[in-house]
Amino acid sequence: MEKYDAVVIGGGSAGLAALKHLSSRGKQAILLEAGEKVGSKNISGGILYSKKPKKGRTYNVEDIYENFLEDAPFERKITKYILHATSKDKVFSIDLTAAHNYEANFGCSVLMNKLNQWFVQQADEVAQKHGGGVVSGVHVSSIRWEGERTIVQTDELEEIEVKAIIAADGVNSEIAYMTGARQKFSPNQLYQGVKVIVKLPEDIMDQRFSIGQDEGAAHLFAGDVTLNHIGGGFLYTNRDTLSVGAVYHLDSLLENPSEPHDLVNALLRNPMISEFVKDEVPVRGEIDKNLPKEEQMRVRFAVTKMIKTWTEMRESYYSRSSRERLVKEGTYGSQAEMEAQLSSLRDQMSTKFGIKFETDYVEAEYSAKLVPDGKRCRMEKPYFKNILFVGDAAGGGVFVGPRIEGLNVGIDDAARAAEVVARAIDKNNFSESYLGQSYSQSVEESPYTHDLKSIDKDYLKIFLDAAKDVPKDIISSKYGMVVKMMSSKTLRSFAVGFANILGYEKLLPIIETLDTYVKVPTEIAERFGSSVTATYTPTIPSIAQRVARLKFNDDSKSHIKVLKPTSEFMKKMITLCPTRCYFMEKEGVMIQHEGCVECGTCSEETDWKHPVGEKGISYQYG
Amino acid sequence: MVDPLNVAVIVKLEPDFSEGNVSYNPDGTLNRAETKNILGPHSAIAVTAAFYAKVKHGAKISIGTMGPPTAESMLQHAQLMSDADELYLYSDRAFAGADTLATAEVLKSGILKMQGKMDIVFSGHRASDGETGQTGPQTAWKLGMTFFGHVIDYEVNTESRTIRVKRLVRLQGIYDVIEEIEAPLPVFIAIDPSYKPKFNTVSQRLAYEKYQKEASQRSQNSKQYLKVFNATQIEGDPKLIGITGSPTIVYKVERIPKGKATRQAEVIDGQDREQIRKIVARMNQSLSTMVIK
Repeated sequence: MEKYDAVVIGGGSAGLAALKHLSSRGKQAILLEAGEKVGSKNISGGILYSKKPKKGRTYNVEDIYENFLEDAPFERKITKYILHATSKDKVFSIDLTAAHNYEANFGCSVLMNKLNQWFVQQADEVAQKHGGGVVSGVHVSSIRWEGERTIVQTDELEEIEVKAIIAADGVNSEIAYMTGARQKFSPNQLYQGVKVIVKLPEDIMDQRFSIGQDEGAAHLFAGDVTLNHIGGGFLYTNRDTLSVGAVYHLDSLLENPSEPHDLVNALLRNPMISEFVKDEVPVRGEIDKNLPKEEQMRVRFAVTKMIKTWTEMRESYYSRSSRERLVKEGTYGSQAEMEAQLSSLRDQMSTKFGIKFETDYVEAEYSAKLVPDGKRCRMEKPYFKNILFVGDAAGGGVFVGPRIEGLNVGIDDAARAAEVVARAIDKNNFSESYLGQSYSQSVEESPYTHDLKSIDKDYLKIFLDAAKDVPKDIISSKYGMVVKMMSSKTLRSFAVGFANILGYEKLLPIIETLDTYVKVPTEIAERFGSSVTATYTPTIPSIAQRVARLKFNDDSKSHIKVLKPTSEFMKKMITLCPTRCYFMEKEGVMIQHEGCVECGTCSEETDWKHPVGEKGISYQYG
Repeated sequence: MVDPLNVAVIVKLEPDFSEGNVSYNPDGTLNRAETKNILGPHSAIAVTAAFYAKVKHGAKISIGTMGPPTAESMLQHAQLMSDADELYLYSDRAFAGADTLATAEVLKSGILKMQGKMDIVFSGHRASDGETGQTGPQTAWKLGMTFFGHVIDYEVNTESRTIRVKRLVRLQGIYDVIEEIEAPLPVFIAIDPSYKPKFNTVSQRLAYEKYQKEASQRSQNSKQYLKVFNATQIEGDPKLIGITGSPTIVYKVERIPKGKATRQAEVIDGQDREQIRKIVARMNQSLSTMVIK
């Protein structure tokens, strides 16, 4: 049996950080990832923060990857952070950039597939030097202990023996369930997030969002776009794509089921967002059915090729860096030549092939993920024997009002776990009392853990200052007492102190309500918002079209088994599964697992496992 | 210490037939000028098979092709897939118009020009443009090597210098029979399209990753690994190459005539339950007359 010092299970941003940090300390570690390659199963909203809290030290992404800011393919540094209250065509906006910058070195938009592939390069290089590395397409099926030995069994490879395990297998952590380290998260501890990636050329984006080349914007939405659920929408600028998504409390969705894709569609149909995502889109003309079959095919192929060429050329034309590179490499004599070629191609397309150009938006990828609400589900004991849990697997993630942080919390966990494992290797002590408790203690010291337990009054002040233009009468009618107390400095300190004594557990049901996310914002927008009109109606793909566009490696066996086909919960899954995998038959609810994106929404009442190695969803953006 | 395995692969530059890349002339023939050429899909599988020998045994890989100078980028792609140690391009106007036999002559001479004696030579199952499936076996015959076709799996014993191959064959009308054969090296293998390499241990997977990384670095400087040979340098028999060495004469290429439809199709609306019932009734009727053995 092959032996390794440490194994990291799961190649998301937390797992990779654990591998990198452990290897940088000269330890031998391997990482097992079930996806066909690292990054193919990862989804994030997503903004990755680097923080500098007053309360203590966090391990930031650039602590793990020293060259992150220079070399990493993150999308854009977010320099504008705006919250919008919506009601039909009315929008009332609050600038929260100060809150976004609070205790932050930076926050940048990211696409997980691209970024994790960079992370894995960095981590793998160091890991290989110490006899470790990354192995993808491998799904861990069980872990067993034989005396002093810990044996990891996978669906694909021969068993291995390890000394310590870092479980970074995400919100639906099988390692946690199989060992009993924690229960499955319940719907009231989870958010369901659904996101679409929209293509938009770089320069057009800069102009539309009034941002420079190295800047980015984040827009958050509450109000009628929530379709009466607790949560909200977001739109982040990436380099040449936009992330548009909806994140809602799963229990709120269970109470009042809406199809997840309808929640994203509600955002896309909001006139402000419609205008944000719009672009020029080529539309194929009908091919003359009277032509011979071969000629019809030839025309179809020619049209496909032209649209592809035009799209690629336009993308590079509207990106300063690509434009300059192509001229420098001599592909085009000058930028003017490029422009001329682009427009002549466009003419040819419309005159010769009947391609029309319309205003619409271009959707590239649909995705879904569960997000653990750290305030409610953080693992008190994030360990089991010699296994340490990090990131989503441990239920981390700071979600307080407009503060949305998950990736950085996972990286912080991972670095702490790696430090502890490295020390355990030095001391050759892998007992639960040493390994587990040292890790637990380290996580307790993290400023993030602090933020999950109590309200930060300085952050609250910044938030309230930003919201000072919001007419008081609306808020007062709902939260009169609170507003009064929060407006004065002394009272605020007292109120926060009092609130913290109550603790989040008692506080959350009061704060996180339909009033906060739906009613108040809708009323504000209705009464004080300015009107926005959309110049077109977006053509929104159906859920079937969205799923058809995803890349799956089909698994003949279902990784999910329905346990209670007639339960109320499972009936709701017919609506709540983001890719509509469930349907009703005579005997009850059935699953068609082929379109499953492995989000875990149905996990509560199913036998839920990740697919075996390489199978299942493979995201292109993430 | 056993000698490292020495492995060669012969590959072919073929048109990219995927939609969005391929162009056809109005008469239905391929527009070669407008269509990009890539590493043929079957060649790619042969390259994967060679990479398996590298991961498992640290084999040295040489890849050779007969083709125009533009085939260089294809060799680069093959190197990216296999971490090839050497790339060979056999390119000369004199090779033009070659049929499979003349191509085999060039490839045979080319393989003999590769460094060291080969233990295994891989070829694809067939080309996606010619579809003859002859070049591999003919090259093996010219080299005088033991030939295995339809190979779906192989294991080398580097100590005894033997190989065990699994072949997908058809026996007395039964499809998908797996035949297992052991033979001493060297051998020539035409790899089956269904071949998929299997790596069963963490260390093999790590080696796989290591070589892949090396491959991506190497392929960025692929010119450094490339040797180009013309007709004189390859030292083949001039009578046996190019158009003069090609006994095949393509008389005519015709479209496969369409058979007349004998069945009567009927369009059924899937939304209508009444119509669906009709289909089920029809199926039941057909099934009742069938004898299921």
